[in-house]
Amino acid sequence: MSTILREHAETQFADELSALAQADERPRPPNWRLSPQTVALYLLGGTLPDGTAISPKYIGSRRLIEIAIATLATERALLLLGVPGTAKSWVSEHLAAAISGDSTRLVQGTAGTPEEAIRYGWNYARLLAEGPTPAALVPSPIMRAMQQGTIARIEELTRIPADVQDSLITVLSEKSLPIPELGQEVQAVKGFNVIATANDRDRGVNELSSALKRRFNTVILPLPDTADAEVEIVRLRVAALGQVLELPAEPPALAEIRRIVTIFRELRGGVTADGKSKIKSPSGTLSTAEAISVVVGGLSLAAHYGDGVLRSHDMAAGLLGAVVKDPVQDRLVWQEYLETVVKERDGWKDLYRACREVTG
Amino acid sequence: MSVHVFGIRHHGPGSARSLRQALASLAPDILLVEGPPEGDGLLPLVTSPQMQPPVALLIYRPDQPAQTAVYPFALFSPEWQAITYALQQGIPVQFMDLPQAQVMALAESPALAEPLALEETPPDGETAVVQDPLRWLAEAAGDSDGETWWERMVEQRQHSDDLFTAILEAMTALRQSAIPLDSPWQRQEQWREAAMRQTIRAAQRAGYGRIAVVCGAWHAPVLADMPASAQADRDLLKGLAKVKVAATWIPWSYSRLTAASGYGAGVTSPRWYEHLWHHPQEAVYHWCVAAAHLLRGEGFVASTAQVIDTARLTHTLSAVRHLPTPGLRELLDAVQTTLAAGQSAPMLLVQRQLIVGNAMGAVPPEAPTVPLQQDLTAWQKRLRLPVTETAKSYDLDLRQPNDLARSHLWHRLRLLDIPWGQPGQAGRAKGTFHEVWRVQWQPELAVRVVETAVWGNTVAEAAAARAVDLAQKTTELPALTGLAQQVLLADLPAAAAAVVARLESLAALTRDTAVLMDTLPELAHILRYGNVRQTDADMVAQVVDGIVPRICIGLPGACLSLNDEAAGAMNGRLGRVAEAIHLLQKNAHLTAWQETIRKLAAQAGLPGLLAGHCCRMLFDAGVEERTETARRMSFALSPANEPAQAAAWLDGFLRGSGRGSGVLLLHDAALWQIVDQWLGSLAATAFQAQLPLLRRTFASFPAAERRQMGEQARRGRPQTATMFAPDHVDMTHVPLALAVAAQLLGLEAQGVTDG
Repeated sequence: MSTILREHAETQFADELSALAQADERPRPPNWRLSPQTVALYLLGGTLPDGTAISPKYIGSRRLIEIAIATLATERALLLLGVPGTAKSWVSEHLAAAISGDSTRLVQGTAGTPEEAIRYGWNYARLLAEGPTPAALVPSPIMRAMQQGTIARIEELTRIPADVQDSLITVLSEKSLPIPELGQEVQAVKGFNVIATANDRDRGVNELSSALKRRFNTVILPLPDTADAEVEIVRLRVAALGQVLELPAEPPALAEIRRIVTIFRELRGGVTADGKSKIKSPSGTLSTAEAISVVVGGLSLAAHYGDGVLRSHDMAAGLLGAVVKDPVQDRLVWQEYLETVVKERDGWKDLYRACREVTG
Repeated sequence: MSVHVFGIRHHGPGSARSLRQALASLAPDILLVEGPPEGDGLLPLVTSPQMQPPVALLIYRPDQPAQTAVYPFALFSPEWQAITYALQQGIPVQFMDLPQAQVMALAESPALAEPLALEETPPDGETAVVQDPLRWLAEAAGDSDGETWWERMVEQRQHSDDLFTAILEAMTALRQSAIPLDSPWQRQEQWREAAMRQTIRAAQRAGYGRIAVVCGAWHAPVLADMPASAQADRDLLKGLAKVKVAATWIPWSYSRLTAASGYGAGVTSPRWYEHLWHHPQEAVYHWCVAAAHLLRGEGFVASTAQVIDTARLTHTLSAVRHLPTPGLRELLDAVQTTLAAGQSAPMLLVQRQLIVGNAMGAVPPEAPTVPLQQDLTAWQKRLRLPVTETAKSYDLDLRQPNDLARSHLWHRLRLLDIPWGQPGQAGRAKGTFHEVWRVQWQPELAVRVVETAVWGNTVAEAAAARAVDLAQKTTELPALTGLAQQVLLADLPAAAAAVVARLESLAALTRDTAVLMDTLPELAHILRYGNVRQTDADMVAQVVDGIVPRICIGLPGACLSLNDEAAGAMNGRLGRVAEAIHLLQKNAHLTAWQETIRKLAAQAGLPGLLAGHCCRMLFDAGVEERTETARRMSFALSPANEPAQAAAWLDGFLRGSGRGSGVLLLHDAALWQIVDQWLGSLAATAFQAQLPLLRRTFASFPAAERRQMGEQARRGRPQTATMFAPDHVDMTHVPLALAVAAQLLGLEAQGVTDG
């Protein structure tokens, strides 16, 4: 097993990708490794004619994935929008891996992202020694993607300051990046496109200018529709993460996952699963990603300090941490939920006791 | 001699287009269409310039107008196009279904109840095949949704060669494999198909050479392959009963064409079909532009560049999904992703306007109408009220004769349960001569008009007849009062007399004083503002004259042994009745009412809330002196009384039934003293127990009054004037100030300075 903590998608699923490429007989857009239909198959999972099983990467609406892929096949860029933890970055990484075989052309958006991260920078030692030459130029991931005709990814686009964001406009509309210092420009090779992600929950973000907005097709990734779909996501991801972290614990029982997912969905929706009673919602998002980390955290506790089987007291601390983001308000919400819902539910006594112990 | 059967789906642009092409190449000499033969006489109207689909053929029983059958047609309905073709070519065209006269008779006959002789019974879960044959074909083709499959295979098809042959084959196979069902509907199908075959045979006998038959795809196989002998069909149809029916065209709408509206053969996307019909090649572009226009109106950017992107994404999406042409699903996905920036809310608007659409048809004036509809149309014309499906607001000034007539018309229609106009909120607030109406026509209202035709031949006549009938059936006084008001507002004097007479007898029989008290304010309102409405309200006055004494007599009894909640409700009624009696401005009523209140105030065992309220009413009306009021208050607040009772009394006195005012307490030292003493005398626990109620009482006062009360309470004695200490008065300025003050008060400036 590799020593890398987390492999890139194209490395981790290299077998699947090569099997798909072999079986793929449909026309591919220029510079695409796979045809659009096969990219959809890679993301949504399925079986190849030769029997190779393709694991699902995204569990959810087929429609959304098709729209996303179709967008990348046109010259418009793709904007994945959603609350934190709805698999935006995950989808973007796998799309890039499947289409270009390379998910590493990545710009992480922060409040301090400079223009150089989107356009190009300079190697100042060389710049001083030789003056502006192509050799002194340090290309950005976007520039490299343009030159090679691959997919570039921008994470958290709305965190990037507005003036830096706008330097994308030329790239997206003219498909070229001028370098006035050299009197040159880089013209995008066919196959180049951009996948950006942004979350619509946080305040204080830099809203996209309408000029930039109209160069993106927006796909909003929703929280999972049904409890079953969410349980499935958590189960698959926990299994994958458990392997990566080499946890000796047994894979968690489905019932345990279902309990976590139920708690998350109930608190998120503000109503119990049977729709009978209303409950308060805490301030956090309580996304599927957080449910996954609660289970993985519990697994790790069980492996190292417990008997290797995931039990309710292994998860209680993680649950508390995920739900209670505001120490005063959320604690009240959580206590109310424990007393009115968890306590009454059949077969949840152990979880109730464990949570009471941690919550105090 | 040949018979050509064209199996279609009702309302499909592709079917319609293919049918037109097929008919043009066949050039039949007679056209038979699935539909009721009663409509034959109305067919020539189809090509009238004033005829605008969507419209529907309405068949009804004049003696029982509630029993109706409706056959909707849109521009893109294959039947509509076939009929238009026939009329343009000048070839005979007729409907071939079982006459509705017999269908409606069948509904009542025992023949329908006889089960069919079936060889096999269907297993569970297979019952849907007859109702939804398309789904079965779609599933065989590997598609989950029959509608989508049919749309892709038939409606969006550009080349129609052999389309109808293929449909016929598919349906033949389906009918052979389908297990027959036994249901009244299925039995009716037997008669219908027999009737269709008989019509075709009749056309053959009449010597027509090329007979074109247009019918639902499901019926096509049994019409294309007819048994040689007509004996079985003749026997089946022999002796079927008939009822008298009439037929007419009525306007229909796209929203009523959808399956969601409950129409069995409905489609999901009439507006999209209209696009497909008008622009078979470029429907996508036209539709995208329409969507952009719609979203622009809602504040989205939706530039032309984005429309281009939308169209491109639509095509790419259909390629990703292996579709030869983009369908509605691709269009919607593309519009949401590009024009609507991923949001789903604007898509609801798109769904409503561009998929379903709000188009409404029109029929030529020469279409036969029921007399009631004719009268309604005449009124609509006379009062200049356009019939549209878009909601519109009217602010009527009832002093204008035209507006008054409009109000009467809408009120009458409401009595007939035809809610074309809905009265708005602002009525009373804006003055009694104003009425706000929200007016919106809906096609089903045309059906209601036919259904209510039984009540009379004019709107006024029918409304009056229905109101009298309702009045006889109503046994609840409040409902009857509402009806009386409606009748008076609708200006139906004859009906009003009957309704009010019924009201009077019912009021006399009512033992429940509370119901009478609920009725009075409404009647007082009618009476008081009757003149403005120019309605004769004398009859109502008579009823009121009977009701007020009954209330006065029953009230003391009705106020006995009430719990807190009931006392609260009664308290509200007291306030409303008092208001109504003041509104009536009739001395006899006022005296009787005040006498009753005085009796009530002295009544032992009356809930504190009501006693306090009565005392306050007596005080406000000036019936009792201040000293007497102070005595009553001191009596009610004596320490011997239960604190709860005393607090409730105070609540009733200060708040009455509405929002109270503490001014009285502030300005009357004696009353203030009594309240102050009572509060001071309460034990700590009793005080705490009464605190919530007291708080509620005092919280209803304006903030300024509460502050003044607080200050007064702190000082411990009443203060009516602010203290004024003339320590530093600049005497040189006094005359100037006095002069201005005198001017303000309108006094002679001279007199003041002299003084």
